[in-house]
Amino acid sequence: MKGRAYLKARKYLVAASSAFRERTAYGGSFFGSVLAYGLFVFVFSRVWAAAFAGRADISGYGLRQIIWYFAVAEIPSFAFGGSFWSLSQDMKSGQVAYLVSRPYDFVAYSYAQGSGRALANSAVLFAEGLAFGFLTAGAPPLESLPQALCVLAGLAMAGSVQFLLQLAIAMTAFWVEENAAFFWIFQKLALVVGTLMPIEFLPAAAQRAAWLSPFPAMSYVPARLFASWGGGREAARLLGFQLAWVLLSALACRAIYAVARARLTVNGG
Amino acid sequence: MPAISVVNLGKSFRTKVRPEGLSSSLSSLFRPSYRDIEAVRGVSFEVEEGEVVAFLGPNGAGKSTTIKMLTGILRPSSGKALVLGLDPSRRRAELARSIGAVFGQRSQLWFHLPPSDSFRLLGAVYEIEPKDLARRRAELVERFGIGDYMDVPVRKLSLGERIRCEIAASLLHDPRVLFLDEPTIGLDLVVKREVRALLAEIAKRDGTTVFITSHDVGDIERICKRAIIIHHGSVVVDESMKELRHRSLSRKYIGVKYASPVDLDFGAIRPVKRTETAASYVVDTNEHRLEGLLRALVGRGELEDLTVEDEALEDIIARIYKAPKAGEAQ
Amino acid sequence: MRTSRLRAYARFLGASLAVNVQAVIEYRVNFLVQVFGMMLNNAAFALFWGVLIGKVGNLGGYGFSDVMLIWALVSTSFGLAHVVFGNVRSIGAIVQKGELDLYLLQPKDVLVNVLASRTVVSAWGDFLYGYIVLALIPGMDLSRLALFSLLSVSGAAIFAATFAAAESLCFFLGDASGISDAITEFLLSFSLYPETIFDKGMRWVFYTIIPSGFIAFLPLSILKSAAWLLVPAALGVAALYAAASYGFFRLGLRRYESGGQMGTRL
Repeated sequence: MKGRAYLKARKYLVAASSAFRERTAYGGSFFGSVLAYGLFVFVFSRVWAAAFAGRADISGYGLRQIIWYFAVAEIPSFAFGGSFWSLSQDMKSGQVAYLVSRPYDFVAYSYAQGSGRALANSAVLFAEGLAFGFLTAGAPPLESLPQALCVLAGLAMAGSVQFLLQLAIAMTAFWVEENAAFFWIFQKLALVVGTLMPIEFLPAAAQRAAWLSPFPAMSYVPARLFASWGGGREAARLLGFQLAWVLLSALACRAIYAVARARLTVNGG
Repeated sequence: MPAISVVNLGKSFRTKVRPEGLSSSLSSLFRPSYRDIEAVRGVSFEVEEGEVVAFLGPNGAGKSTTIKMLTGILRPSSGKALVLGLDPSRRRAELARSIGAVFGQRSQLWFHLPPSDSFRLLGAVYEIEPKDLARRRAELVERFGIGDYMDVPVRKLSLGERIRCEIAASLLHDPRVLFLDEPTIGLDLVVKREVRALLAEIAKRDGTTVFITSHDVGDIERICKRAIIIHHGSVVVDESMKELRHRSLSRKYIGVKYASPVDLDFGAIRPVKRTETAASYVVDTNEHRLEGLLRALVGRGELEDLTVEDEALEDIIARIYKAPKAGEAQ
Repeated sequence: MRTSRLRAYARFLGASLAVNVQAVIEYRVNFLVQVFGMMLNNAAFALFWGVLIGKVGNLGGYGFSDVMLIWALVSTSFGLAHVVFGNVRSIGAIVQKGELDLYLLQPKDVLVNVLASRTVVSAWGDFLYGYIVLALIPGMDLSRLALFSLLSVSGAAIFAATFAAAESLCFFLGDASGISDAITEFLLSFSLYPETIFDKGMRWVFYTIIPSGFIAFLPLSILKSAAWLLVPAALGVAALYAAASYGFFRLGLRRYESGGQMGTRL
């Protein structure tokens, strides 16, 4: 039985590694995201430097921490950033009608491809972020191996929630032609909640609301774990929060897909 | 003054040579090597006003490059071109008012809007007085039978409807010379015919000079009075359609069919294709007298069918294309 | 003669914009989504600045309304440039695909014709956003509004000139989209933040190849002090940038190779 399971899993691994290799085939294709990320991190490091003028602490973060926070928080959204557009295009062009007839789980297969591509992006951006952080903020606030592992797990789950929610929104294309509006709103909320600044900066009421949403799972958690380690218990709580949202968003994708697929079969594609 | 006059026109493109292999690719980053490609070399001809000229040649012969130099899109590398007395590369905008162009699949109509909107914009582009524009538009709509399509978004029109609107749009400013680059490419037979009829009518009625490049011999046979054939960047034939056809006169295609099997060989003349009762022959009339062969054929047996045909224009042109590059050893 | 030429050009630009707007409005929902989406995007950053400056008082001497004024200026200028000259960041692609042919066949200036033949839908949102911000900032009156509009015109001209020059590199380099995208990113990134947060050593860049200084910082001080006398200077600088960019495009145009041949690989 081990062979069957291996065969089943293999297609997703191959999908992920193909996407990874496609993305890395031509080094120049990273130019755009490397530049945009680098510029964004640089400009914000200046913004934070000015904000911390004559001040050691804002909402519990120091200047060094906030620069590292920002560098890490941007990675999931830059790495997975535009997945929505190509996914949504697939839905609209009817490309997906071909995909549903293939012998694989559509959600899992899309996720495998998206992750493969994003892994390449993330690796490059993470290296860039580390180099930049070293130059401007000094040594990274990493204290232990468990912390480093938690950061990696946090990044992986942050990317997963990013991608799965974008997939869910993209699938609304089956019902709503102009579904870009949903994505805009999603993207901007994600930007304000945890990406541009730590959630601790928000007013108390907004913080409470934020924790009811998936947004902290999408960038805050890995950035917080990296920049301001609060011990094993906090880490477990944050990663648990992320895991819950990974599962929830995966379930949401499958549910939306099941309804959409029923519609597809009824309408004959 | 001729409508178009071209003297020794030449155009070469400089292309970066991309070597294979990583190390040579890297070194070419710093010291790229170039190769000059002569797309057009030493082309000369004249077109009188009101003439309808076909500009022919196989793929990559330099047709489009020449037409682009004549319309001011490309600058010649050598030689000189004058269209309506103006140098296209120096006085492009001025010349543009008196010439029209239909470039195959490149549309000047807005895809998501009805043609009437594009016509209004073109009116502004060509600075046509609104009153003149309305008159001209009404005239073209009537002649081209496009009244029903003027308010339908272009994306919803069929290819045939679209190309009619396209040609009408290119005539809005009443050009004296009309350039067409592959106007019937991708069209079905019926639409091709419509387009040819329209073009023939424009030339006849308005006295517009028409300069047309095409692969399609049908376009040329129906519309043009003269053909210029360009090959490997140089003019190889420039003569009237009549003369071009005369090239075929020495070759005859003869087909015969008999009621019962007969001997089909005539000494030096052997059939190119044969069955028991039928055969076809290609005869060079400079070598053999046609009359003698026909008499012999009639004498062989009971004839059911006999056809004598000229070589098709398409085949004549194909023979010209196959000719080796000028200056190269045979 | 000259005035009639100008009138013909004005009529042409008007007709061009009208056709553009009609094409956009064909897809009404898409138009609204893009316009509001872009305003939402800008509003997200406003929220960030509100929170941050709420915490630290001011940033490099800029208060919240200063940052918002910068956003208003930059977003209206950027929007205006793309509303009127929608193709300004597509010149490279147009040249490479050989689509410049169509414009070369028409009796209008090629650059003006190319630029004006498209409008960018989301840019309408950017354009409007600046005015909405302006309306929300206390102490704005009609004369400030006029001043703001004039400065936005000069800002739009500098945006368009910089983008057009960057895109014109394609005549010389073939595919220059990487450099052009980089210049766009830089220009936007530096224009939307207080000038004072950047090192003195790099500020000269803002008054040369990445003209954030002329698009954002200088107009901000003109607007704040209602320095009407400096408006002609701002417009003059814009005209200089436009002229230089125009010249550069013309220089490149001489090397235009139309379609087909440009993609040739050996």
